[in-house]
Amino acid sequence: MTQDTKKSGVKRREFLKVLGASSATLAVTACEEPTGHLIPYLVSPDQTVPGVSTYYATTCRECSAGCGIISETRDGRSIKLEGNPDHPLNRGALCAKGQSALQGLYNPDRFKTPMVNENGAWKAITWDDAIARLSNAVSAAKPQAAGAVFINQHESGSFPRFLDGWLASFGMPAHLSVDFEADHAAIEANRRSYGAAWPALSFQDAKLIVSFGADFLDGWGASVPQQLDFADARAKLDGAPRFVYIGPRRSLTGLNADEWLACKPGSELAIANALSGKGSIDAAATESGVPAAALQRLATELAAAKPALVVSGVSGENALDVALAVAAINQASGAVGTTIKPAQALTGFEGIAHTDQVLAAVEKMRAGGVGIAFVRGANLAHALPKAANFAEAFAKVGFRVSFSNVPDETSELCNLIIPDLHSLEQWGDAEPVKGTIGLQQPAMDPVYPTLSKTVPAALGTADLLIQVSKKAGSANQPADYRTWLFTQIPGGTTAISAALPKGIVSGSLAARTIAAAATTPKSTSIASTQGDLTLITYHSPLLGDGRGANKPWLQELPDPVTKICWSSWVEIHPETAQRLGIDRGDILEVKTATGTVRAPAFVYLGVHKDAIAMPIGQGHRSKANVPDFQPKHDDSKQTQWGYGRYARGIGANALDILPLGTNAGGGMILTATKASISKTGDHRTLPSTEGSARQHGRGIAQAINAADLSKPPAERREEELPGDASHAFLPGLRSPVAADAQGDLGSPTSADQGKNKGMYAPNEERGMSKRRWAMTIDLARCTGCSACVTACYSENNIPTVGAYWQNATLFADARPGFNIERGREMNWIRLERYFEGNLDGKFGEDFEARFVPMMCQQCGNAPCEPVCPVYATYHAPDGLNVQVYNRCVGTRYCSNNCPYKVRYFNWFGYGEADRKQYAFPEPLNWQLNPDVTVRGKGVMEKCSFCVQRIRESENRAAAEHREMQGDEFTTACAQACPSRAITFGDAADPNWSVTQLIADRRAYHVFEELNAFTAVVYLKKVNHPAAGAAPARA
Amino acid sequence: MQGVLGAFRELDSAVHAIEDLKKERVGDITVYTPTPRHEFEHAMEHGPSKVRVFTLIFGLAGVTFGYWIPVWISDYWPLVVGGKPIASWVPFTILGFEVMVLIGGLATVFAMFGFAGIPRLTTTVGYDPRFSSGHFGVWVEAEADTADKAMNILKKHGAEEVRRER
Amino acid sequence: MATSALPSGQRPNIPSAAVRFPAIKSYEQVDSDIAGTLGPSLGWFAALGIAILCMLIGATTWTYQIHEGLGAAGYQPPVMWGVYIVTFVFWVGIGHAGTLISAILYLFRAGFRTSIYRASEAMTVFAVMTAGLFPILHLGRPWKFFYLIPYPNWRLIWPNPKSPLVWDVFAILTYLTISSTFLYIGLIPDIAILRDREKNPIRKAILAQLSLGWRNSDREWRHFTRAYLFLAAFATPLVLSVHSVVSFDFAMALTPGWHATIFPPYFVAGAIFSGIGMVFTIAIPLRKAFKLEHYITLNDIDAAAKLCLFTSTVVGLAYLTEFQIAWMSGNPFEQDYFWNRVFGQWAWAAWIMLICNCVLPLSLWSQKLRRNTTWLFILSLFINLGMWFERFVIVVPSLSHEFEPWQWGTYRPTWVDYGILLGSFGWFFMWFLLFIKQLPVMAMAEIKEVLIPRMKHSHDPTPDLTEGIVHPDETGATH
Repeated sequence: MTQDTKKSGVKRREFLKVLGASSATLAVTACEEPTGHLIPYLVSPDQTVPGVSTYYATTCRECSAGCGIISETRDGRSIKLEGNPDHPLNRGALCAKGQSALQGLYNPDRFKTPMVNENGAWKAITWDDAIARLSNAVSAAKPQAAGAVFINQHESGSFPRFLDGWLASFGMPAHLSVDFEADHAAIEANRRSYGAAWPALSFQDAKLIVSFGADFLDGWGASVPQQLDFADARAKLDGAPRFVYIGPRRSLTGLNADEWLACKPGSELAIANALSGKGSIDAAATESGVPAAALQRLATELAAAKPALVVSGVSGENALDVALAVAAINQASGAVGTTIKPAQALTGFEGIAHTDQVLAAVEKMRAGGVGIAFVRGANLAHALPKAANFAEAFAKVGFRVSFSNVPDETSELCNLIIPDLHSLEQWGDAEPVKGTIGLQQPAMDPVYPTLSKTVPAALGTADLLIQVSKKAGSANQPADYRTWLFTQIPGGTTAISAALPKGIVSGSLAARTIAAAATTPKSTSIASTQGDLTLITYHSPLLGDGRGANKPWLQELPDPVTKICWSSWVEIHPETAQRLGIDRGDILEVKTATGTVRAPAFVYLGVHKDAIAMPIGQGHRSKANVPDFQPKHDDSKQTQWGYGRYARGIGANALDILPLGTNAGGGMILTATKASISKTGDHRTLPSTEGSARQHGRGIAQAINAADLSKPPAERREEELPGDASHAFLPGLRSPVAADAQGDLGSPTSADQGKNKGMYAPNEERGMSKRRWAMTIDLARCTGCSACVTACYSENNIPTVGAYWQNATLFADARPGFNIERGREMNWIRLERYFEGNLDGKFGEDFEARFVPMMCQQCGNAPCEPVCPVYATYHAPDGLNVQVYNRCVGTRYCSNNCPYKVRYFNWFGYGEADRKQYAFPEPLNWQLNPDVTVRGKGVMEKCSFCVQRIRESENRAAAEHREMQGDEFTTACAQACPSRAITFGDAADPNWSVTQLIADRRAYHVFEELNAFTAVVYLKKVNHPAAGAAPARA
Repeated sequence: MQGVLGAFRELDSAVHAIEDLKKERVGDITVYTPTPRHEFEHAMEHGPSKVRVFTLIFGLAGVTFGYWIPVWISDYWPLVVGGKPIASWVPFTILGFEVMVLIGGLATVFAMFGFAGIPRLTTTVGYDPRFSSGHFGVWVEAEADTADKAMNILKKHGAEEVRRER
Repeated sequence: MATSALPSGQRPNIPSAAVRFPAIKSYEQVDSDIAGTLGPSLGWFAALGIAILCMLIGATTWTYQIHEGLGAAGYQPPVMWGVYIVTFVFWVGIGHAGTLISAILYLFRAGFRTSIYRASEAMTVFAVMTAGLFPILHLGRPWKFFYLIPYPNWRLIWPNPKSPLVWDVFAILTYLTISSTFLYIGLIPDIAILRDREKNPIRKAILAQLSLGWRNSDREWRHFTRAYLFLAAFATPLVLSVHSVVSFDFAMALTPGWHATIFPPYFVAGAIFSGIGMVFTIAIPLRKAFKLEHYITLNDIDAAAKLCLFTSTVVGLAYLTEFQIAWMSGNPFEQDYFWNRVFGQWAWAAWIMLICNCVLPLSLWSQKLRRNTTWLFILSLFINLGMWFERFVIVVPSLSHEFEPWQWGTYRPTWVDYGILLGSFGWFFMWFLLFIKQLPVMAMAEIKEVLIPRMKHSHDPTPDLTEGIVHPDETGATH
């Protein structure tokens, strides 16, 4: 050890010159023995106090946008990802996908070493061996180097250029940078109309927002910045733009619209033309099935709205035409420069290879013209439709190399696997917004370091390629990728070391030079296909093209629309379902020309009655035979092929029945075929967190019409609800504890007559009883994206319970999501999605969706407290409703008595490593927050208002001998929220902004009539009904 | 302790025998009867049992204690739950009542033991197994001189068996 | 007292106002008849074997559940209480008939109590012993159950005296203590009888200890009767309080369907009703097997059946009142819940409850059926079922259909729940079977009390007891 430290000491000095303070840690630990499990540091490096977090600004690689993230690193382990407040793109917010990158880093199925497939059997090899084998393969492939294929998961920044350079040095063609979730039609149209792949969209400045199936809140483009801006637009209340969604399926974005025009799939073009005046309204009405009146109204609205913001994300064969038509409308309404800003383009979407280029490459493989193929990140065997028959083509490639660091369907077809480092473990960069470079720095040393002496640390692909070049004897190679990278960024190392804490450098990267691909549309005419219902497939907002499926957080997080997790499903309209006698949960067989899949039915108001919709992302299967999985003891040799233990064998892959087709934009056609469905007779309870989708007039999610906001209360058209909030008076913030602190513990019989009030005393040193922690949730902002839920899982060590083995041992069902079916999910904060209107599920009648984040309301008079026989839950002086896990015996009476049903019980030993129900198999347990205990079997738990953060900043203030500042800190959910809907603070101290929001005219408590005096204040959603349309009723 | 034991088949003869013995003031009388009979109570002219006093006293003690426990517990560590008063005496009535019944009831039993002189280790002197099943027994404490007199009285009233014991 | 519609003296096994047990000639006969029922038989061993087997199944299941976690049972949030609490309330309810019969009817001087109270008192004690297990085994961390008991500990951490569950602890423990004391006190004279009859020296010695050296002296009897009276006077309000406290577990909660002031009387009535039901279930086979028809006469059964009918109507009224309160409350949550109770997902359970507890007992208006022990036995089984479902209907549907529609759910018990349920019956009957063969199932001394003692020259003409005994007519006393 000492020797190592000495060695590392030398390294440290050398690095400090280069790096500056913030990355010294890594330099040291980068060459230490494998990280110990109990105490990460035997010798603590400089700048690192054990138990105190270090924060590293880096870049998110979970989608093409490239948001800025901050990794909270404690004792050398990254424990939480948060948005980077200084980043122009996401301004401190972070979506569920981005936060879950942590589970890619700590994925229990990650490859620990390179692996080689020798006659069918996989065996682990050393890094030196791996490098040798790769360079041999590369030199062996020299003759047909021109035919080599390198497929890389798309990312912006310098790496693509580095990669092309490397390939060129071996005479290989430039790589294909793939992103199957990208909307190529929109990108193409943008390029033609605005000269940028993805101009920034400004919803705030729009007078009217119209979306043709563009799900800008859930996956279409850069969701987080778009959501931030959309929420700001909505926050203008009566000044906010109306939002009309046109499309056959109502996605999460669609549910946030004020009006939904359910058009026939493929008929968007007609509507777009009608709106732009190129076509007639009536023709569009007949083609799309949307009433002409509605179209006419929209047309007039659109004409009046200057500027408007119209976006198109249709997935049909005519996608490009729609996108171009829409662009025309925008230009007409003067949107360019106001609501559509090419100047601040999101450069992350530049240089994505068209899907038809990928298909062409596949065909080349099938033709046998490929000597060597590399795959990094992209999982083509799963993300390409079965019709592409990738596996068969791939098998014809001479030598197949995968850089994937988790087992997936593609890497299992390869000869050699050299696991790449996770993006949180290596250097990189990105240019998310034109003129701003986001830096990517390692937040910790690799989870699985090598023991090799010649290869000191596990190598990222870039470094690996450098090694290969060196072995191949090519001269003037950079020492390592980092050195090369720093030469690429304007300002060089000095600028970088200055910028590292903030994570951004201003300036631009050299653009990657690639020949503009000629798109060869491989169109399939949907009209010619058989079937009575149109099949709409869409990328799951959480799992994407399937990339997220091996992350338990994303599997456990209910889909924002259907609220189903750990499963796939078929959305079908109530009318159609009734006609075919289909009930929720009936297993359907969906049949197209290219195949059949089975999935349970989800009867959904928001899908066209002539269509069914299926999400893409599940259905990970394995071709390699998988060893029997023993979750209890995690054996490294048990590689869980088929994208890991959490993804394998869950649901069906909609791409199996999708015919192969690309539109004129070069993107895959996701609405490509009709399908016929039949009941299989099987039935399953959907693993859904949804109880009743209707709130039965109980006023949980309340709304008010924009028009009524300005009126005096008497004239407002409000729902008459039990306990509808009187806007002047919010009892929740009148904490009874505070009252007690004023001199009486409440009882005349109290022996001390209020003299000994212990911690409730007003002059108690921490002054706790002066405070009243409270929270406001603005339903006008909330879009239901569920980022807060994942943030809570991450911050509070909440176990995921849906994996198929997390059930009882004897005579118990072992199917994914079983515990969810049983309602045993542990989401401390949950997103309720209620439907309003259209009670009898008629097609063509519009309905409204309301989202309510529901967590412990921290009641002043908490019903859960007095019923606990052991004081395991009681009232803290600062108004918190405290849960004492060690004292809890598990009577669950508190949950029975909780009107909000926000208490969750540990049914199994999710936190006990020796149980098969264990939720954090090594190294997933590295993600655990050391400030929060992992709850044991048989105790109750619930939202604590992130009490660990409260106490931390209280103590910090105390240590610095100062009062707490307003908005000094916030809870995990509020911090992550990309809509800025959640605000947390001290309601008793005007310095906190929460106090202003509480005074809002829209404020109300849920179930106020129960006099629980809750500390969570909701602000009513604001509806913008079309002129003359009926107002929404609760 | 010595005396005479007479076993009767019939109730009335036993009662008459007792009345005579009392008239003659022979000695302390103990009656054994398989089941409590009012006839004997009248004949023996005992006052009411003192058990009731203990029931009352300990009942009151119990209710006090039963109230005191929760009040003390609540004030020892004043924790606010559900915004209720720390020492909310109304629900504590339940505990008061239960503890009253517990202590009062047990006290009654032990008082009964005390008064009735049980548990006792031996039952030999002046007892006959018949008394638990069907016969009525009369035990008179009598010295040698008065014993004959007692025996005569018992015999006269038709005792099935009369014997001296010591 | 004897409520027979028939002129007395016609049928020797039908008591008259003057003669309580016409067929019993002498004190000695009582001893021989009842003490004769002791001593194991083959059938008894078989029954005991089955009971112990069930008990073991339950024990094993519980062990498994403790190891695995409560998830092994069928809990399905928001239904956080399930079969265990249902069964707990069920057994507590059973545990009420005993003390009712022995204490309350004692105060009311209801004669028919004499012959059945010992058995039902034993039933009470064992039922409470069974019930007491469930609050522990439904805990998430049963090994920490003692946190609920205010035991002195060095950290001076106490339970929360405002919690109904702590009231439960006090009420159940008090009730267990008092009712078992009550049972034992009543047993002392009878144990003395057994002691005096016993030949085997070892058993005799044990019985001598148990009888506390009871001698049947006038002094002992004097204080004994007093103490017994006061104990009865204590037990009476205790019975009422215990099930009221149990009902507070629900009534003190906000949950729609629980939060009702009617609960205490409603639960007490239900408890007595279910208790009488269980008394029938136990006493009728016992009467047959032990040939005790002369002691548990048809009139006793008739009277008990009337009590059963009465409590059934009280319970029925309570059901209706709940609906009426919900209807008139104007509380949408309450109304929605009660509608859901009878017409919603739980209708089947609610209707089982209503039919078993309110409809079938109406048959007891007919004296013919009241005196038909076969029918009473069958009916009692239905009553047990119905009362179990009453508690199910109270616990599960309320929780599954609360304030928050998003969290509405359902409930499916698993084999673990059923295993433990079965085990509880095994545990109960194990104790009861052991009891009836070791100790007299009837209070001999008290039966003697109501017999006419032998008199040399009787002042009042005692009926001629020498006429032959007709075997009791099981089918009822009608021609």
